Amino acid sequence: MSTVLLQQGINGVVLGSLYVLVALGLTLIYGVLVQINFAHADVVTIGAFAAYFFTFTFGGNYLASIAVALLVGAILGWLVNAAIFAPLRERGSELLPLIATIGVSVLLQNVMLLWFGPIPYAFDSPYSNQVIRLWGGTFITGQNLIIIVVSTLTIALLYAFMKFTFMGKALRAVAQDRETAGLMGINPNHLIMLTFVIASALAGMGGAMLGPILVLTPFAGTTVIVKAFAIVIIGGFGNVEGTIIAGLLVGLIESYTTQFVNPGLIDIVVFTLLLMMLAFRPTGLIAEKREENV
Amino acid sequence: MSDDISGRVAGQADGRRNSDKVLFRSKSLNKSFGGVHAVRDISLNIPHGGVFAIIGPNGAGKSTLLNLMSGLYQPDSGTMSLDGVDLVGLKAHRRVRLGLARTFQKIRLFKHLPVLDNVIAGFHIHHDIPAWQYVLQGTAFRRDYARCRHEARKLLSFVGLEERAKARAGSLAYGEQRMLELARALATSPRLLVVDEPAAGLNAAEVEKLLDRITQLRAGGMTVVIVEHNMDLVMKVADRVLVMDYGQYLFEGAPAEAQVDPGVVAAYLGA
Amino acid sequence: MSSRDHTELANPFDRSSVSRRWWLLGAIVTIGLLPLVFQDSYWRTNLIVCALNVMLAIGLDFILGYAGQLNLGHSAFYGIGAYVSTLVITKLGLPFWVAFLCGIVLAGAAGMALSMFAVRLRGHYLAIASLGFAVIVHQVLVNWISLTQGPLGIYGIKPPPEIALPGLPVISFGNSANMFYLVAGFALLFYVLLDQLVRSPIGETLTAIREDEVSASSLGINCPAWKVFAFGAGSAVAGAAGAFYASSVGTLVPDAFIITESFTILAMVIVGGMGTLIGPVWGAILLTVLPEVLRGFGDLRLVLYGAALTLVVLFMPGGIVQAAQIVRAQFDRLRARLEAG
Repeated sequence: MSTVLLQQGINGVVLGSLYVLVALGLTLIYGVLVQINFAHADVVTIGAFAAYFFTFTFGGNYLASIAVALLVGAILGWLVNAAIFAPLRERGSELLPLIATIGVSVLLQNVMLLWFGPIPYAFDSPYSNQVIRLWGGTFITGQNLIIIVVSTLTIALLYAFMKFTFMGKALRAVAQDRETAGLMGINPNHLIMLTFVIASALAGMGGAMLGPILVLTPFAGTTVIVKAFAIVIIGGFGNVEGTIIAGLLVGLIESYTTQFVNPGLIDIVVFTLLLMMLAFRPTGLIAEKREENV
Repeated sequence: MSDDISGRVAGQADGRRNSDKVLFRSKSLNKSFGGVHAVRDISLNIPHGGVFAIIGPNGAGKSTLLNLMSGLYQPDSGTMSLDGVDLVGLKAHRRVRLGLARTFQKIRLFKHLPVLDNVIAGFHIHHDIPAWQYVLQGTAFRRDYARCRHEARKLLSFVGLEERAKARAGSLAYGEQRMLELARALATSPRLLVVDEPAAGLNAAEVEKLLDRITQLRAGGMTVVIVEHNMDLVMKVADRVLVMDYGQYLFEGAPAEAQVDPGVVAAYLGA
Repeated sequence: MSSRDHTELANPFDRSSVSRRWWLLGAIVTIGLLPLVFQDSYWRTNLIVCALNVMLAIGLDFILGYAGQLNLGHSAFYGIGAYVSTLVITKLGLPFWVAFLCGIVLAGAAGMALSMFAVRLRGHYLAIASLGFAVIVHQVLVNWISLTQGPLGIYGIKPPPEIALPGLPVISFGNSANMFYLVAGFALLFYVLLDQLVRSPIGETLTAIREDEVSASSLGINCPAWKVFAFGAGSAVAGAAGAFYASSVGTLVPDAFIITESFTILAMVIVGGMGTLIGPVWGAILLTVLPEVLRGFGDLRLVLYGAALTLVVLFMPGGIVQAAQIVRAQFDRLRARLEAG
């Protein structure tokens, strides 16, 4: 029994770290822009497809395809910000950009549907079938190991970047108070663009690694994104540490629910948890409550 | 005309007035935000009728006190009452029904709506027809609606905006927007009107106009509370002042005495 | 001060109420004629779907465009209305119109519950909460197999019972023309009801709340209560649409109510013109009919919705209504110039 527990724990961490990658992008964007980017899901999907085509159509190295997906994600992030958020920022509406990204998301998904078709693509990375035995009778596939390693490295790098470099601090400054940051000589628009690029690069990377695990269809991203939203809320919008913890938590919950309860109920469990969070602690696990300034 | 307005507005409250001369009473109000103790142990008594000023340097806690009065914030401790009715725990919108209205320092008009509609918005708590009438819209509804528009126009002419009734509120000049806010607050027929930093952003002529309206309201029997940091301005119109600094009580009494009170002088000059 | 600063005041008692009566008459006549023009079952089904979409769109506009609540879970209320009304008939054996009422009431109650739950939440949080709610509802419909038969669906749902009034021919709703009249008739009824509300102080109250809640509260408006009311009303209408959907299509599967459906309804509202009530009607009609007309290009329906939504938000946020206003302004200017000689 404890083997199963441990095994699911490992699987949960794998899932969780992927969710964290995707959710981090969302939370970074929200932190800096106070906007939700629905099209984030499709960056994940496109990243997965990019990795797939790079590996199988171009015959490239799978690990390199992760880098390719990262680049593709970065470019997409740049595009979405330039085309949608930047122009709408002037109008000052809180909800219009969100609605625009819903439109982009629906558009992208269905264009991909027309191009790639609804039949899932079998994305087997060369590491999917490698099995590494761990302690206590558990094992981990090569793919999952890569996921954990790459995700952890990336998240650690990002964390360090945010906390210790000038750019990172500037980003946090813009998140806290855009006007003042502007007065300090930081160009908020450049930083917002940087945030988008980083966030979407993370999403693309996440897609490349998710491809072999998930069912790869044009809608692959949506299965992840709704959970990513839950994670961002549970961890607190804009809160990096909270997102990391919440992501791992959700990964573990999913893993254990699949094993011990009905897999069909995962979404219900996660979302009920989400709604509970919203009811009792809308600002997330760690964040502090800010009272409105009148 | 203005007597008519303020008299009509304040006079509606006559029936509710009790014999006690104090309209608003607070005892030991406290409010902190994180580490900042914004309002410390404030007790005040605002008498019926007249203009009561709450003044103090920037950061003194005046706006916080006002927000406590209007219900935007709830106090950490202390009591408040309007005409004997306990206010603590009462939501902001319910206080309006008791007769407490306010304006905002940072103008919060419905910028995309016409000027007249902004004022009409203040009448919504005073409709006296049943809800199903809104669907059928028969004669009673039409009469009530026409009455509201008529009253709204009167309020607009009180603040000198009747020609701009159809304009988009956001297109008004800053000074005009302030007057519109005043008209809108008056539409709720308050007994106690709290005005937050009314002079902020206004030029001298606009300030005069505003003070003139407030004087007229007082003449009609309304109780007006002004929150301000400009001492001279307030001296012209206030009957009583409360001076605050660092969230604490410094002085309460006649304006002339406040000007010479050593504690007050130190706060304004020493700061 | 440019002419754009003057706006038409909402006054329901002038000439415009007369022109509204003409529009109403025109709508009734059009509804009456449509099944006579379109005799084949394919187009008649589309007409019914169109009427359903109109109902959904105006309900959502009431919530989103008037009360300012970003509801991304409207499909949930559609589904609740559909399943509740169907199950009341099949499991409880109650007559159609009782079931219809149950569907409306439960959908409305769910909307009010969600709104009460989310009442303290800012716009984005409500959006996610409503999305989460819709996902939960859909998953419940899929997984509660003993009740809903899950993905297999419920088949053989009967249309509303015949109406036999003395002296008139029996009205059977198996006839798609009659079904259309029923659904479109209710859509028109709901439109008129919501329109009356919108043109009354209730509409003004909701607009005030949408514009600035703190400001509205300072005028005595109980914002949470009104938001709950708007949500309940809008979702009740969606519930009615659900009941009609089930009884007109005849089969019910949970996937008819996935969250994508919420997005398509949202697209209809935005493309038509959020906060105008009539705009979403046009948006629903356009986005229901256009994909059918463009059928030759493959299943472009959702691509169209996505593109329309994005482009409208970016370039013409007021939707069709705004476009119509611009066109009319151009005509007025042209006419003025011609008259001036």
